Amino acid sequence: MSARLVGWAAPWLLLAPALILLCVLVLLPYAGALLYSLTDGQLITIGTAPRLVGLANFEKLMSARDPEFGLVVGATAVFTAGTVVGSLGLGTFLGLALSSLRPSARGPLQALLLVPWVIAGVVVGYTWKLVYDPQVGLANAMLVPLGVSRVAWLLERWPAIAALVVANVWAAYGIVLLVISSALANVPASLVLAAQVDGARAATIIRRIVLPNIRRSFLLAALVAVISGLNVFDLIFVMTGGGPTYQTETLALTMYRLTFRRGDIGEGAAVTVILFGFSLALAVVYVLSWQREARKWK
Amino acid sequence: MEVIPLGPLGRAARLLTLAVGLLFTLVPVLWVASVALRPSGALTFPVSLLPPSLTLENLRTILFTDLGIGLQPYLNAAFYGVSCAVITAIVSLMGGYALARFDFAFGRVLLLVFLALNFIPAAARLIPLFLLYVQLGLYDTQLGVILAYVAGVTPLGIWLMAGTISQIPLRLEQAARIDGAGALTMARRVLLPLAMPGVLVVATLAFVDGWNSFSLPLILMQRADAQSYTVVLQKYVQADVGINWNLLAAGSLLALIPVLVAFALLQRRLVTSGGFNGAVRG
Repeated sequence: MSARLVGWAAPWLLLAPALILLCVLVLLPYAGALLYSLTDGQLITIGTAPRLVGLANFEKLMSARDPEFGLVVGATAVFTAGTVVGSLGLGTFLGLALSSLRPSARGPLQALLLVPWVIAGVVVGYTWKLVYDPQVGLANAMLVPLGVSRVAWLLERWPAIAALVVANVWAAYGIVLLVISSALANVPASLVLAAQVDGARAATIIRRIVLPNIRRSFLLAALVAVISGLNVFDLIFVMTGGGPTYQTETLALTMYRLTFRRGDIGEGAAVTVILFGFSLALAVVYVLSWQREARKWK
Repeated sequence: MEVIPLGPLGRAARLLTLAVGLLFTLVPVLWVASVALRPSGALTFPVSLLPPSLTLENLRTILFTDLGIGLQPYLNAAFYGVSCAVITAIVSLMGGYALARFDFAFGRVLLLVFLALNFIPAAARLIPLFLLYVQLGLYDTQLGVILAYVAGVTPLGIWLMAGTISQIPLRLEQAARIDGAGALTMARRVLLPLAMPGVLVVATLAFVDGWNSFSLPLILMQRADAQSYTVVLQKYVQADVGINWNLLAAGSLLALIPVLVAFALLQRRLVTSGGFNGAVRG
Protein backbone atom coordinates (compact mmCIF):
# COMPACT_ATOMS: atom_id res chain seq x y z
CA MET A 1 0.00 0.00 0.00
CA SER A 2 1.36 3.41 -0.84
CA ALA A 3 1.70 5.84 2.03
CA ARG A 4 -0.60 8.31 0.38
CA LEU A 5 -3.44 5.85 0.00
CA VAL A 6 -3.07 4.86 3.65
CA GLY A 7 -3.04 8.53 4.61
CA TRP A 8 -6.28 9.18 2.79
CA ALA A 9 -8.23 6.08 3.75
CA ALA A 10 -6.86 5.43 7.24
CA PRO A 11 -9.07 7.82 9.23
CA TRP A 12 -12.18 6.51 7.48
CA LEU A 13 -11.24 2.89 8.09
CA LEU A 14 -10.65 3.66 11.75
CA LEU A 15 -13.93 5.53 12.02
CA ALA A 16 -15.92 2.97 10.04
CA PRO A 17 -17.17 0.77 12.94
CA ALA A 18 -18.30 3.78 14.94
CA LEU A 19 -19.95 5.46 11.98
CA ILE A 20 -21.76 2.31 10.88
CA LEU A 21 -23.07 1.71 14.41
CA LEU A 22 -24.16 5.31 14.79
CA CYS A 23 -25.84 5.48 11.40
CA VAL A 24 -27.75 2.23 11.80
CA LEU A 25 -28.58 2.31 15.50
CA VAL A 26 -28.84 6.03 16.22
CA LEU A 27 -29.51 8.13 13.13
CA LEU A 28 -31.72 5.60 11.36
CA PRO A 29 -33.99 5.09 14.40
CA TYR A 30 -34.42 8.84 14.78
CA ALA A 31 -35.28 9.12 11.09
CA GLY A 32 -37.63 6.19 11.55
CA ALA A 33 -39.37 7.91 14.44
CA LEU A 34 -39.87 11.00 12.33
CA LEU A 35 -41.39 8.90 9.55
CA TYR A 36 -43.59 6.82 11.85
CA SER A 37 -44.94 9.92 13.56
CA LEU A 38 -46.65 10.76 10.26
CA THR A 39 -48.36 7.37 9.94
CA ASP A 40 -51.13 5.39 11.60
CA GLY A 41 -48.77 2.50 12.49
CA GLN A 42 -50.15 0.03 15.03
CA LEU A 43 -48.29 -2.50 17.15
CA ILE A 44 -50.54 -5.43 16.13
CA THR A 45 -50.10 -4.82 12.39
CA ILE A 46 -46.38 -4.25 12.67
CA GLY A 47 -45.42 -6.26 9.58
CA THR A 48 -47.56 -4.28 7.15
CA ALA A 49 -46.76 -0.83 5.81
CA PRO A 50 -48.68 1.90 7.69
CA ARG A 51 -50.65 4.67 5.99
CA LEU A 52 -49.42 8.26 5.92
CA VAL A 53 -51.73 10.48 7.93
CA GLY A 54 -49.84 13.78 7.94
CA LEU A 55 -49.84 15.59 11.25
CA ALA A 56 -52.91 13.78 12.58
CA ASN A 57 -50.91 12.14 15.38
CA PHE A 58 -49.73 15.48 16.68
CA GLU A 59 -53.29 16.84 16.55
CA LYS A 60 -54.54 13.77 18.41
CA LEU A 61 -51.87 14.33 21.07
CA MET A 62 -52.79 17.97 21.59
CA SER A 63 -56.49 17.27 21.85
CA ALA A 64 -56.15 14.11 23.96
CA ARG A 65 -58.35 13.62 27.06
CA ASP A 66 -57.41 11.35 29.96
CA PRO A 67 -54.79 12.59 30.35
CA GLU A 68 -54.85 16.00 28.71
CA PHE A 69 -51.59 16.78 26.96
CA GLY A 70 -51.20 19.86 29.14
CA LEU A 71 -51.14 17.71 32.26
CA VAL A 72 -48.23 15.67 30.91
CA VAL A 73 -46.35 18.73 29.68
CA GLY A 74 -46.90 20.40 33.05
CA ALA A 75 -45.53 17.41 34.96
CA THR A 76 -42.55 17.17 32.56
CA ALA A 77 -41.77 20.89 32.90
CA VAL A 78 -41.98 20.95 36.70
CA PHE A 79 -40.02 17.71 37.03
CA THR A 80 -37.30 18.96 34.66
CA ALA A 81 -37.09 22.42 36.21
CA GLY A 82 -36.87 20.89 39.67
CA THR A 83 -34.10 18.55 38.54
CA VAL A 84 -32.11 21.40 37.01
CA VAL A 85 -32.42 23.75 40.00
CA GLY A 86 -31.77 21.02 42.55
CA SER A 87 -28.84 19.30 40.88
CA LEU A 88 -27.15 22.56 39.80
CA GLY A 89 -27.50 23.99 43.29
CA LEU A 90 -26.32 20.90 45.11
CA GLY A 91 -23.58 20.11 42.58
CA THR A 92 -22.18 23.65 42.64
CA PHE A 93 -22.21 24.05 46.43
CA LEU A 94 -20.59 20.65 46.89
CA GLY A 95 -18.07 21.35 44.12
CA LEU A 96 -17.04 24.61 45.79
CA ALA A 97 -16.88 23.01 49.24
CA LEU A 98 -14.72 20.16 47.89
CA SER A 99 -12.40 22.51 46.02
CA SER A 100 -11.39 24.20 49.28
CA LEU A 101 -10.28 20.89 50.81
CA ARG A 102 -6.84 19.30 50.73
CA PRO A 103 -6.60 16.87 47.77
CA SER A 104 -6.14 13.91 50.15
CA ALA A 105 -9.52 14.63 51.75
CA ARG A 106 -11.15 15.72 48.52
CA GLY A 107 -10.67 12.46 46.57
CA PRO A 108 -12.50 10.01 48.84
CA LEU A 109 -15.28 12.50 49.62
CA GLN A 110 -15.89 13.19 45.96
CA ALA A 111 -15.98 9.45 45.26
CA LEU A 112 -18.64 8.97 47.96
CA LEU A 113 -20.70 11.84 46.60
CA LEU A 114 -20.59 10.39 43.08
CA VAL A 115 -22.03 7.03 44.17
CA PRO A 116 -25.70 7.73 43.29
CA TRP A 117 -24.69 8.80 39.80
CA VAL A 118 -23.45 5.29 38.94
CA ILE A 119 -26.50 3.47 40.34
CA ALA A 120 -29.04 2.07 37.88
CA GLY A 121 -32.11 4.25 37.39
CA VAL A 122 -34.29 1.30 38.38
CA VAL A 123 -32.37 0.73 41.61
CA VAL A 124 -32.53 4.46 42.34
CA GLY A 125 -36.29 4.18 41.85
CA TYR A 126 -36.62 1.21 44.22
CA THR A 127 -34.34 2.91 46.75
CA TRP A 128 -36.49 6.03 46.91
CA LYS A 129 -39.75 4.12 46.69
CA LEU A 130 -38.53 2.38 49.82
CA VAL A 131 -37.75 5.72 51.45
CA TYR A 132 -41.24 7.04 50.65
CA ASP A 133 -43.22 3.87 51.39
CA PRO A 134 -46.06 4.80 53.77
CA GLN A 135 -45.66 1.57 55.79
CA VAL A 136 -41.97 0.77 55.91
CA GLY A 137 -40.47 3.96 54.48
CA LEU A 138 -37.63 5.90 56.06
CA ALA A 139 -39.38 9.26 55.56
CA ASN A 140 -42.36 8.28 57.72
CA ALA A 141 -40.18 6.32 60.15
CA MET A 142 -38.36 9.56 60.89
CA LEU A 143 -41.43 11.85 60.89
CA VAL A 144 -43.95 9.77 62.84
CA PRO A 145 -41.96 9.82 66.13
CA LEU A 146 -41.96 13.62 65.79
CA GLY A 147 -45.75 13.62 65.92
CA VAL A 148 -46.39 14.02 62.19
CA SER A 149 -49.08 11.70 60.88
CA ARG A 150 -48.15 9.24 58.16
CA VAL A 151 -47.84 10.78 54.71
CA ALA A 152 -48.73 8.89 51.53
CA TRP A 153 -45.95 10.56 49.55
CA LEU A 154 -46.60 9.13 46.12
CA LEU A 155 -50.40 9.29 46.01
CA GLU A 156 -51.04 12.93 45.18
CA ARG A 157 -49.84 14.95 42.21
CA TRP A 158 -47.61 17.62 43.74
CA PRO A 159 -46.13 15.68 46.68
CA ALA A 160 -45.43 12.83 44.27
CA ILE A 161 -43.75 15.07 41.69
CA ALA A 162 -41.70 16.71 44.46
CA ALA A 163 -40.70 13.26 45.70
CA LEU A 164 -39.68 12.26 42.17
CA VAL A 165 -37.64 15.47 41.80
CA VAL A 166 -35.74 14.72 45.02
CA ALA A 167 -34.99 11.20 43.80
CA ASN A 168 -33.85 12.43 40.39
CA VAL A 169 -31.69 15.19 41.89
CA TRP A 170 -30.09 12.43 43.96
CA ALA A 171 -29.39 10.48 40.78
CA ALA A 172 -28.26 13.43 38.65
CA TYR A 173 -26.29 15.87 40.80
CA GLY A 174 -23.15 13.70 40.47
CA ILE A 175 -22.64 14.60 36.82
CA VAL A 176 -23.07 18.29 37.68
CA LEU A 177 -20.52 17.89 40.47
CA LEU A 178 -18.12 16.23 38.04
CA VAL A 179 -18.50 19.00 35.45
CA ILE A 180 -18.20 21.79 38.04
CA SER A 181 -15.21 20.17 39.75
CA SER A 182 -13.24 19.81 36.54
CA ALA A 183 -14.09 23.42 35.68
CA LEU A 184 -12.95 24.59 39.11
CA ALA A 185 -9.66 22.74 38.63
CA ASN A 186 -9.09 24.86 35.52
CA VAL A 187 -9.64 28.27 37.11
CA PRO A 188 -6.22 29.99 36.75
CA ALA A 189 -4.39 29.90 40.08
CA SER A 190 -2.79 33.28 39.30
CA LEU A 191 -6.18 35.05 39.38
CA VAL A 192 -7.08 33.58 42.75
CA LEU A 193 -3.61 34.30 44.18
CA ALA A 194 -3.70 37.90 42.92
CA ALA A 195 -7.06 38.45 44.60
CA GLN A 196 -5.73 36.98 47.83
CA VAL A 197 -2.69 39.27 47.72
CA ASP A 198 -5.09 42.19 47.28
CA GLY A 199 -6.78 41.05 50.48
CA ALA A 200 -10.08 39.85 49.03
CA ARG A 201 -12.20 37.62 51.29
CA ALA A 202 -13.08 34.06 50.27
CA ALA A 203 -16.71 34.95 49.53
CA THR A 204 -15.61 37.81 47.26
CA ILE A 205 -13.10 35.62 45.43
CA ILE A 206 -15.76 32.99 44.81
CA ARG A 207 -18.34 35.52 43.63
CA ARG A 208 -16.08 37.75 41.54
CA ILE A 209 -13.48 35.36 40.18
CA VAL A 210 -14.36 31.70 40.52
CA LEU A 211 -18.01 31.74 39.49
CA PRO A 212 -17.56 33.99 36.41
CA ASN A 213 -14.68 31.75 35.36
CA ILE A 214 -16.78 28.60 35.32
CA ARG A 215 -19.91 30.03 33.72
CA ARG A 216 -19.36 28.01 30.55
CA SER A 217 -19.53 24.85 32.60
CA PHE A 218 -22.79 25.99 34.14
CA LEU A 219 -24.27 25.98 30.66
CA LEU A 220 -23.01 22.43 30.08
CA ALA A 221 -24.16 21.26 33.51
CA ALA A 222 -27.57 22.90 33.05
CA LEU A 223 -28.00 21.26 29.65
CA VAL A 224 -27.04 17.86 31.01
CA ALA A 225 -29.52 18.37 33.85
CA VAL A 226 -32.30 19.43 31.46
CA ILE A 227 -31.69 16.34 29.35
CA SER A 228 -31.61 14.10 32.40
CA GLY A 229 -34.88 15.60 33.57
CA LEU A 230 -36.64 15.44 30.21
CA ASN A 231 -35.73 11.87 29.45
CA VAL A 232 -36.00 10.09 32.74
CA PHE A 233 -37.92 6.92 32.18
CA ASP A 234 -36.65 4.17 34.50
CA LEU A 235 -36.98 6.11 37.71
CA ILE A 236 -40.54 7.34 37.23
CA PHE A 237 -41.63 4.05 35.67
CA VAL A 238 -40.52 2.24 38.81
CA MET A 239 -41.59 4.78 41.44
CA THR A 240 -45.06 5.79 40.30
CA GLY A 241 -45.51 4.39 36.80
CA GLY A 242 -46.89 7.84 35.93
CA GLY A 243 -49.75 7.37 38.36
CA PRO A 244 -51.92 7.89 40.26
CA THR A 245 -54.08 8.26 37.12
CA TYR A 246 -51.43 9.99 34.95
CA GLN A 247 -50.74 12.63 37.63
CA THR A 248 -46.96 12.12 37.45
CA GLU A 249 -46.70 11.04 33.83
CA THR A 250 -43.95 12.80 31.87
CA LEU A 251 -43.46 12.78 28.09
CA ALA A 252 -41.03 9.85 28.24
CA LEU A 253 -43.70 7.74 29.95
CA THR A 254 -46.44 8.93 27.60
CA MET A 255 -44.29 7.69 24.75
CA TYR A 256 -44.00 4.25 26.33
CA ARG A 257 -47.69 4.07 27.28
CA LEU A 258 -48.97 5.08 23.85
CA THR A 259 -46.67 2.68 22.03
CA PHE A 260 -46.62 -0.42 24.19
CA ARG A 261 -49.78 -0.20 26.29
CA ARG A 262 -52.10 1.26 23.65
CA GLY A 263 -50.18 -0.14 20.68
CA ASP A 264 -50.35 3.15 18.82
CA ILE A 265 -46.88 3.41 17.25
CA GLY A 266 -47.67 6.54 15.24
CA GLU A 267 -48.75 8.55 18.24
CA GLY A 268 -45.89 7.23 20.38
CA ALA A 269 -43.45 8.26 17.65
CA ALA A 270 -45.00 11.73 17.61
CA VAL A 271 -44.10 12.12 21.30
CA THR A 272 -40.61 10.84 20.48
CA VAL A 273 -40.25 13.52 17.82
CA ILE A 274 -41.29 16.25 20.26
CA LEU A 275 -38.75 15.05 22.84
CA PHE A 276 -36.07 14.65 20.20
CA GLY A 277 -36.67 18.09 18.71
CA PHE A 278 -36.37 19.74 22.09
CA SER A 279 -33.14 17.90 22.97
CA LEU A 280 -31.66 18.58 19.55
CA ALA A 281 -32.32 22.31 19.94
CA LEU A 282 -30.49 22.23 23.29
CA ALA A 283 -27.62 20.25 21.79
CA VAL A 284 -27.23 22.76 18.96
CA VAL A 285 -27.20 25.67 21.41
CA TYR A 286 -24.46 23.94 23.36
CA VAL A 287 -22.33 23.00 20.35
CA LEU A 288 -22.57 26.51 18.91
CA SER A 289 -21.59 28.23 22.13
CA TRP A 290 -18.81 25.70 22.65
CA GLN A 291 -17.49 26.40 19.18
CA ARG A 292 -17.52 30.15 19.76
CA GLU A 293 -15.51 29.59 22.93
CA ALA A 294 -13.11 27.21 21.15
CA ARG A 295 -12.38 29.88 18.56
CA LYS A 296 -11.39 32.31 21.31
CA TRP A 297 -8.57 30.03 22.50
CA LYS A 298 -6.84 30.06 19.15
CA MET B 1 -7.25 26.02 41.04
CA GLU B 2 -5.49 27.36 44.09
CA VAL B 3 -7.14 26.31 47.36
CA ILE B 4 -8.85 29.39 48.80
CA PRO B 5 -8.14 29.84 52.52
CA LEU B 6 -11.40 30.14 54.45
CA GLY B 7 -12.32 32.14 57.55
CA PRO B 8 -14.27 30.55 60.43
CA LEU B 9 -17.61 31.40 58.78
CA GLY B 10 -16.45 29.84 55.51
CA ARG B 11 -15.33 26.71 57.32
CA ALA B 12 -18.71 26.39 59.00
CA ALA B 13 -20.49 26.81 55.67
CA ARG B 14 -18.24 24.19 54.09
CA LEU B 15 -18.82 21.74 56.92
CA LEU B 16 -22.59 22.23 56.68
CA THR B 17 -22.62 21.78 52.88
CA LEU B 18 -20.56 18.61 53.01
CA ALA B 19 -22.55 17.15 55.91
CA VAL B 20 -25.88 17.78 54.18
CA GLY B 21 -24.51 16.42 50.90
CA LEU B 22 -23.13 13.26 52.47
CA LEU B 23 -26.27 12.56 54.50
CA PHE B 24 -28.50 13.07 51.47
CA THR B 25 -26.24 10.81 49.40
CA LEU B 26 -25.68 7.96 51.81
CA VAL B 27 -28.83 7.69 53.91
CA PRO B 28 -31.07 6.20 51.17
CA VAL B 29 -28.43 3.57 50.35
CA LEU B 30 -27.98 2.74 54.03
CA TRP B 31 -31.76 2.40 54.35
CA VAL B 32 -31.79 -0.17 51.54
CA ALA B 33 -29.02 -2.05 53.33
CA SER B 34 -30.91 -1.76 56.62
CA VAL B 35 -34.02 -3.33 55.08
CA ALA B 36 -32.11 -5.94 53.08
CA LEU B 37 -30.08 -7.19 56.01
CA ARG B 38 -32.89 -7.51 58.61
CA PRO B 39 -35.08 -10.60 59.14
CA SER B 40 -38.23 -10.56 57.02
CA GLY B 41 -40.42 -10.42 60.15
CA ALA B 42 -38.83 -7.16 61.28
CA LEU B 43 -40.45 -4.94 58.69
CA THR B 44 -43.82 -3.88 60.08
CA PHE B 45 -45.08 -0.43 60.92
CA PRO B 46 -43.64 1.39 62.81
CA VAL B 47 -40.25 0.31 61.46
CA SER B 48 -37.08 0.64 63.47
CA LEU B 49 -34.32 2.65 61.83
CA LEU B 50 -31.66 0.06 62.56
CA PRO B 51 -32.21 -3.64 61.93
CA PRO B 52 -33.01 -5.46 65.21
CA SER B 53 -30.63 -8.20 64.10
CA LEU B 54 -28.47 -8.71 61.03
CA THR B 55 -29.03 -11.62 58.66
CA LEU B 56 -28.01 -12.70 55.16
CA GLU B 57 -31.26 -14.67 54.81
CA ASN B 58 -32.73 -12.28 52.19
CA LEU B 59 -29.62 -12.35 50.01
CA ARG B 60 -29.62 -16.17 50.21
CA THR B 61 -33.32 -16.27 49.29
CA ILE B 62 -32.70 -14.03 46.26
CA LEU B 63 -29.79 -16.06 44.91
CA PHE B 64 -30.49 -19.67 45.84
CA THR B 65 -34.21 -20.36 46.36
CA ASP B 66 -37.33 -20.63 44.24
CA LEU B 67 -38.64 -17.39 45.75
CA GLY B 68 -35.58 -15.60 44.42
CA ILE B 69 -34.40 -14.70 40.96
CA GLY B 70 -31.11 -16.62 41.02
CA LEU B 71 -27.72 -15.53 39.84
CA GLN B 72 -28.58 -15.64 36.12
CA PRO B 73 -30.15 -12.14 35.81
CA TYR B 74 -27.03 -10.64 37.38
CA LEU B 75 -24.77 -12.66 35.07
CA ASN B 76 -26.84 -11.47 32.11
CA ALA B 77 -26.38 -7.84 33.18
CA ALA B 78 -22.66 -8.46 33.70
CA PHE B 79 -22.47 -9.95 30.21
CA TYR B 80 -24.19 -6.86 28.79
CA GLY B 81 -21.88 -4.61 30.78
CA VAL B 82 -18.60 -6.33 29.90
CA SER B 83 -19.44 -6.76 26.19
CA CYS B 84 -20.53 -3.16 26.01
CA ALA B 85 -17.29 -2.04 27.70
CA VAL B 86 -15.01 -4.06 25.40
CA ILE B 87 -16.70 -3.13 22.13
CA THR B 88 -17.09 0.53 23.07
CA ALA B 89 -13.44 0.79 24.14
CA ILE B 90 -12.18 -0.65 20.82
CA VAL B 91 -14.53 1.34 18.61
CA SER B 92 -13.84 4.57 20.52
CA LEU B 93 -10.09 4.07 20.53
CA MET B 94 -10.07 3.63 16.74
CA GLY B 95 -12.41 6.54 16.09
CA GLY B 96 -10.75 8.79 18.64
CA TYR B 97 -7.35 8.09 17.08
CA ALA B 98 -8.63 9.01 13.63
CA LEU B 99 -10.07 12.29 14.87
CA ALA B 100 -7.04 13.21 16.98
CA ARG B 101 -4.27 12.34 14.53
CA PHE B 102 -5.62 12.96 11.03
CA ASP B 103 -6.28 16.52 10.02
CA PHE B 104 -9.23 16.25 7.67
CA ALA B 105 -11.95 18.83 7.31
CA PHE B 106 -14.79 16.42 7.91
CA GLY B 107 -13.15 15.27 11.13
CA ARG B 108 -13.90 18.54 12.89
CA VAL B 109 -17.51 18.37 11.79
CA LEU B 110 -17.71 14.79 13.07
CA LEU B 111 -16.33 15.83 16.44
CA LEU B 112 -19.15 18.36 16.76
CA VAL B 113 -21.72 15.78 15.66
CA PHE B 114 -20.45 13.40 18.35
CA LEU B 115 -20.67 16.19 20.90
CA ALA B 116 -24.25 16.90 19.88
CA LEU B 117 -25.17 13.20 19.92
CA ASN B 118 -24.24 13.09 23.61
CA PHE B 119 -27.21 15.30 24.25
CA ILE B 120 -29.76 13.36 22.31
CA PRO B 121 -31.82 11.29 24.69
CA ALA B 122 -31.68 7.52 24.58
CA ALA B 123 -35.41 7.48 25.30
CA ALA B 124 -36.14 8.96 21.88
CA ARG B 125 -34.44 5.96 20.33
CA LEU B 126 -36.46 3.26 22.07
CA ILE B 127 -39.47 2.91 19.84
CA PRO B 128 -37.80 3.27 16.44
CA LEU B 129 -35.08 0.90 17.61
CA PHE B 130 -37.73 -1.63 18.58
CA LEU B 131 -39.32 -1.34 15.13
CA LEU B 132 -35.93 -1.55 13.40
CA TYR B 133 -34.94 -4.63 15.41
CA VAL B 134 -38.14 -6.42 14.49
CA GLN B 135 -37.28 -5.81 10.82
CA LEU B 136 -33.59 -6.74 11.14
CA GLY B 137 -34.18 -9.86 13.24
CA LEU B 138 -32.21 -8.36 16.13
CA TYR B 139 -35.28 -8.30 18.36
CA ASP B 140 -34.95 -10.64 21.32
CA THR B 141 -31.19 -11.11 20.81
CA GLN B 142 -28.43 -10.25 23.26
CA LEU B 143 -26.30 -8.88 20.43
CA GLY B 144 -29.06 -6.39 19.67
CA VAL B 145 -29.19 -5.09 23.24
CA ILE B 146 -25.39 -4.83 23.44
CA LEU B 147 -25.03 -2.99 20.13
CA ALA B 148 -27.80 -0.57 21.09
CA TYR B 149 -25.86 0.36 24.22
CA VAL B 150 -22.53 0.55 22.39
CA ALA B 151 -24.06 2.95 19.89
CA GLY B 152 -25.38 5.02 22.76
CA VAL B 153 -22.03 5.40 24.59
CA THR B 154 -19.75 5.61 21.54
CA PRO B 155 -20.20 9.37 20.88
CA LEU B 156 -18.99 10.17 24.41
CA GLY B 157 -16.31 7.47 24.10
CA ILE B 158 -14.89 8.88 20.86
CA TRP B 159 -15.00 12.38 22.25
CA LEU B 160 -13.04 11.34 25.35
CA MET B 161 -10.57 9.20 23.39
CA ALA B 162 -9.86 11.99 20.89
CA GLY B 163 -9.01 14.20 23.85
CA THR B 164 -6.78 11.58 25.46
CA ILE B 165 -4.88 10.72 22.30
CA SER B 166 -4.27 14.32 21.28
CA GLN B 167 -2.36 14.70 24.56
CA ILE B 168 0.06 11.89 23.69
CA PRO B 169 3.17 13.37 22.01
CA LEU B 170 3.21 12.53 18.30
CA ARG B 171 7.01 12.18 18.51
CA LEU B 172 6.69 8.93 20.44
CA GLU B 173 4.82 7.41 17.52
CA GLN B 174 7.27 8.78 15.00
CA ALA B 175 10.18 7.35 17.01
CA ALA B 176 8.54 3.92 17.04
CA ARG B 177 8.02 4.13 13.26
CA ILE B 178 11.65 5.05 12.69
CA ASP B 179 12.69 2.09 14.82
CA GLY B 180 10.80 -0.04 12.31
CA ALA B 181 7.61 -0.77 14.26
CA GLY B 182 4.56 -1.56 12.12
CA ALA B 183 1.24 0.11 12.73
CA LEU B 184 -0.04 -2.72 14.93
CA THR B 185 3.13 -2.95 17.05
CA MET B 186 3.08 0.80 17.46
CA ALA B 187 -0.55 0.72 18.56
CA ARG B 188 0.04 -2.10 21.04
CA ARG B 189 3.39 -1.02 22.47
CA VAL B 190 3.25 2.77 22.38
CA LEU B 191 -0.27 4.06 21.98
CA LEU B 192 -2.28 1.64 24.10
CA PRO B 193 -0.20 1.91 27.28
CA LEU B 194 -0.27 5.70 27.12
CA ALA B 195 -3.96 5.89 26.27
CA MET B 196 -4.91 3.29 28.91
CA PRO B 197 -6.27 5.73 31.51
CA GLY B 198 -8.69 7.13 28.93
CA VAL B 199 -9.60 3.66 27.67
CA LEU B 200 -10.42 2.57 31.22
CA VAL B 201 -12.68 5.58 31.76
CA VAL B 202 -14.57 4.87 28.54
CA ALA B 203 -14.82 1.16 29.38
CA THR B 204 -16.08 1.90 32.89
CA LEU B 205 -18.75 4.29 31.65
CA ALA B 206 -19.83 1.70 29.08
CA PHE B 207 -19.86 -1.11 31.65
CA VAL B 208 -21.99 0.91 34.05
CA ASP B 209 -24.40 1.69 31.20
CA GLY B 210 -24.74 -1.97 30.27
CA TRP B 211 -25.00 -3.20 33.86
CA ASN B 212 -27.61 -0.57 34.70
CA SER B 213 -29.64 -1.00 31.53
CA PHE B 214 -33.38 -1.22 31.97
CA SER B 215 -35.46 0.31 29.21
CA LEU B 216 -33.57 -1.31 26.33
CA PRO B 217 -33.76 -4.92 27.62
CA LEU B 218 -37.33 -4.22 28.75
CA ILE B 219 -38.33 -3.33 25.21
CA LEU B 220 -35.86 -5.23 23.02
CA MET B 221 -35.67 -8.51 24.93
CA GLN B 222 -38.48 -10.94 25.54
CA ARG B 223 -36.65 -14.12 26.59
CA ALA B 224 -36.71 -14.49 30.36
CA ASP B 225 -33.38 -16.33 30.52
CA ALA B 226 -31.46 -13.43 28.93
CA GLN B 227 -33.13 -10.70 30.93
CA SER B 228 -31.23 -8.32 33.22
CA TYR B 229 -31.84 -8.16 36.99
CA THR B 230 -33.21 -4.65 36.46
CA VAL B 231 -36.22 -6.09 34.64
CA VAL B 232 -36.51 -9.32 36.65
CA LEU B 233 -36.64 -7.52 40.01
CA GLN B 234 -40.04 -6.16 38.98
CA LYS B 235 -41.51 -9.48 40.08
CA TYR B 236 -41.37 -8.26 43.70
CA VAL B 237 -43.59 -5.32 42.83
CA GLN B 238 -47.08 -6.74 42.28
CA ALA B 239 -50.01 -4.38 42.23
CA ASP B 240 -52.34 -6.90 43.92
CA VAL B 241 -49.94 -8.47 46.46
CA GLY B 242 -47.93 -5.37 47.30
CA ILE B 243 -44.18 -5.07 47.41
CA ASN B 244 -41.86 -7.64 48.96
CA TRP B 245 -39.47 -5.07 50.36
CA ASN B 246 -37.04 -7.48 52.00
CA LEU B 247 -36.29 -9.26 48.75
CA LEU B 248 -36.47 -6.15 46.56
CA ALA B 249 -33.99 -4.38 48.84
CA ALA B 250 -31.74 -7.44 48.91
CA GLY B 251 -31.85 -7.68 45.11
CA SER B 252 -31.04 -3.98 44.79
CA LEU B 253 -28.18 -4.26 47.27
CA LEU B 254 -26.65 -7.10 45.22
CA ALA B 255 -26.94 -4.93 42.11
CA LEU B 256 -24.96 -2.15 43.77
CA ILE B 257 -21.89 -4.25 44.50
CA PRO B 258 -20.28 -4.52 41.02
CA VAL B 259 -20.89 -0.85 40.18
CA LEU B 260 -19.41 0.26 43.45
CA VAL B 261 -16.38 -1.99 42.99
CA ALA B 262 -15.78 -0.83 39.40
CA PHE B 263 -16.29 2.73 40.50
CA ALA B 264 -14.00 2.49 43.55
CA LEU B 265 -11.22 1.05 41.38
CA LEU B 266 -11.53 3.77 38.78
CA GLN B 267 -12.83 6.82 40.61
CA ARG B 268 -9.43 8.55 40.72
CA ARG B 269 -9.04 8.29 36.97
CA LEU B 270 -12.66 9.18 36.36
CA VAL B 271 -12.36 12.27 38.50
CA THR B 272 -8.97 13.47 37.23
CA SER B 273 -9.77 12.98 33.58
CA GLY B 274 -13.00 14.67 34.47
CA GLY B 275 -15.49 13.09 32.08
CA PHE B 276 -16.24 16.23 30.15
CA ASN B 277 -12.92 17.96 30.66
CA GLY B 278 -12.13 18.21 26.97
CA ALA B 279 -15.47 19.77 26.26
CA VAL B 280 -15.62 22.25 29.10
CA ARG B 281 -12.48 24.21 29.96
CA GLY B 282 -14.30 26.69 32.24
